[in-house]
Amino acid sequence: MKNPTLPLFLALLAPALAAGVCAAPAFAEPPLEQRGMSSGGFRQHDRNRPQPKAVEPGAEVSVPAPADAVVLLGKDDAENAKQWKNAAWTQKDGVMTARKGWQVSAQSFGDCQLHLEFRVPETLKDRKDQDQGNSGVFFMGDRYEAQVVSSHPDCNKTYADGMAGAIYGQNPPLVNPSRKIGGWNAYDIVFRRPRFNEKGECVQKAVMTVFLNGVLVQDHFELMGPTSYMQRAPYAKHADKLPLQLQDHGSPDEFRNIWVRELE
Amino acid sequence: MRNFARLALVALLAPAALADQVNGREVPPGTPTTGVKLHFLPDYDSLPPLAKRGDSSQGWKIHDMKRPLPRQVAVPELPSQPAPADALALFDGTQASIQANFVNQKWKAKDGAVVAVHGDQTTRKAFGDCQLHVEWRALDANHPNMCNSGVIFMGGRYEIQIMDSNPCNVIPADGGAAAVYGWMPPLVNPIQPAGKWNTYDIVFHRPRFDAKGACVQKTRVTILFNGMLVQDNTEFPGPTSWDQRLPYRAHADKLPLSLQDHGGGVEFRNVWVRDLE
Repeated sequence: MKNPTLPLFLALLAPALAAGVCAAPAFAEPPLEQRGMSSGGFRQHDRNRPQPKAVEPGAEVSVPAPADAVVLLGKDDAENAKQWKNAAWTQKDGVMTARKGWQVSAQSFGDCQLHLEFRVPETLKDRKDQDQGNSGVFFMGDRYEAQVVSSHPDCNKTYADGMAGAIYGQNPPLVNPSRKIGGWNAYDIVFRRPRFNEKGECVQKAVMTVFLNGVLVQDHFELMGPTSYMQRAPYAKHADKLPLQLQDHGSPDEFRNIWVRELE
Repeated sequence: MRNFARLALVALLAPAALADQVNGREVPPGTPTTGVKLHFLPDYDSLPPLAKRGDSSQGWKIHDMKRPLPRQVAVPELPSQPAPADALALFDGTQASIQANFVNQKWKAKDGAVVAVHGDQTTRKAFGDCQLHVEWRALDANHPNMCNSGVIFMGGRYEIQIMDSNPCNVIPADGGAAAVYGWMPPLVNPIQPAGKWNTYDIVFHRPRFDAKGACVQKTRVTILFNGMLVQDNTEFPGPTSWDQRLPYRAHADKLPLSLQDHGGGVEFRNVWVRDLE
C-alpha cells in the first residue's frame, strides 16, 4: 500500500526478466495456445517439453553409396556441382557449405532413401538455440523437414521438436544421438511421399523413418502435413516428384556424402 | 551320400546351369551370370506342391521358385558400426560377452568373431520392441547349405533370414538373405560375396494381443541391409515357418533373441541391441 507502483513495476519487469534468463530469441514467441499442435499432445516448439534422452553414438562411420544410388555429393566436385542448382553454396573436396539461399537438387525424387552427413562448424559454438547451426533436410521442395541444428546437450539446447533428428515442429527424436559441435552426423532417412486423390485430398500421409548416427530417431512417423514454424499447415496436393532441398538459415553448415536411392 | 550324387549330377549339367536359365529362372538385372553356384538345397525339393503350401506375400505361395528374385545391387563392404552408448553389446568379439549374454557356450569367440556351430544361440535377456545391429558373413562360397542361418525374434517366432544368397537363383525369393522368412523377399539384394561382412540394422516391433489373446497389431520390421532399405515396415502374417502359414498366438511381451545354426558356415561379429520400449 505504501508504494502502489512497486507491484505494478515488478509485474511489468517479470516477463522481460524471464525472457532474458531463458535466452529466448530476440523476437517474442507466440503463446502456446496460439501455436499448432506437435505430437504427444504438445504445442509446437514448447520449451517445457521434456528433452529426449541423450545417447552418445558410436564412433563416426561414413557409409559409402551403393551402386543403385544417385550420388548428390561424392568425391568429385565437378560432378557434385551438376547435382545442385544454387552455385552460391561452396563445394570443395566433396564438402558443400551452406551459403545464401536454399540449395536445391537438380533431380526430383518421390519415395526415396537418403543418406546425408552434416556438421555444424565449431565457429558457431557461441551461438545459442536455433541459431547454432540451423539448417534442414527438406523433401519434396520445401515441404517436409528433418531438422539440422547443433543438438549435443553439452553444446546447445533448443526445444525438443526442433532439435536434430526431429521432424521439425511435429515430433522430437526418440533419443538424442547428436554429436558435439564440429563432429560429422549421419542421417539415414526413408521417406515416403504423401498420396493425394483426384480432389486433391491427402489419402496417405507422408511417412519418415530416420536413423541419426545409426540410432533410430523416427520410427515410421506419419507427418501431420508440411513442416512449419508455429502453425500447422494442411496437406496441399503437389507433384509426385520434387527436388530435395537444404535450408539456408544463416549458418555455414557443412555437408558431405549425400546419396539417394529411389524407392518407386 | 545322396547329396554327393546330386552334386555330381549337377556338375555334369554345369554348362547349362551356368547360363542365365539356372533352375529355369530369369536372372534379375545386375545378377552375375557367370560363376553361378551349383548348389542345391534338397530341403526345397521336399516341400509339398504349391497348392498345399501356405500363402506368401503378394499372391505367391511359400517358397515358390518362380517368384521373381530381388534385384541384386553391388554395395561396398561397410565399416563395422560401433554401438551407441545405450545399446547392450550382445557380442563385442569377446568370449566374455558370449558368457554374459548368451546361453550356448559351445560358440567360441575367435579374432573378434564367432562361428555359428553346435546349435542355435539364444540370449539370456528377453527383448520386445528393439533395434538390433548384426554383422555376419558367409565363410564358404561353396557351402552345401549356403550358409543358412537367421536372426529370430521372440523365442523362435519371427525370423529374418541369413543365407549366402549371392546370387540367390537357386533358392526362393522369400528364402534369401534379409527376407522375412517365407513371406517377404527383400526389396533389393545387396549381399556381399562370401568372406565379406554384411550388416543388418533391424527395427523390430513385437505384435500386440488383446485380453482374449487375439492379435491386434502385427509384428513388423524395417531393415537396412548393408545400409540399404530392404524391408519397409513389413508386417508379419504370423510366426515365420517352413511350408505352412501359422496363426498368431499370444505370447510374452519380451522373449529372447536367437541366432540360428542351420548347418554352419556363418560367422557373426558386433551384435548390439537397443530396447525401444
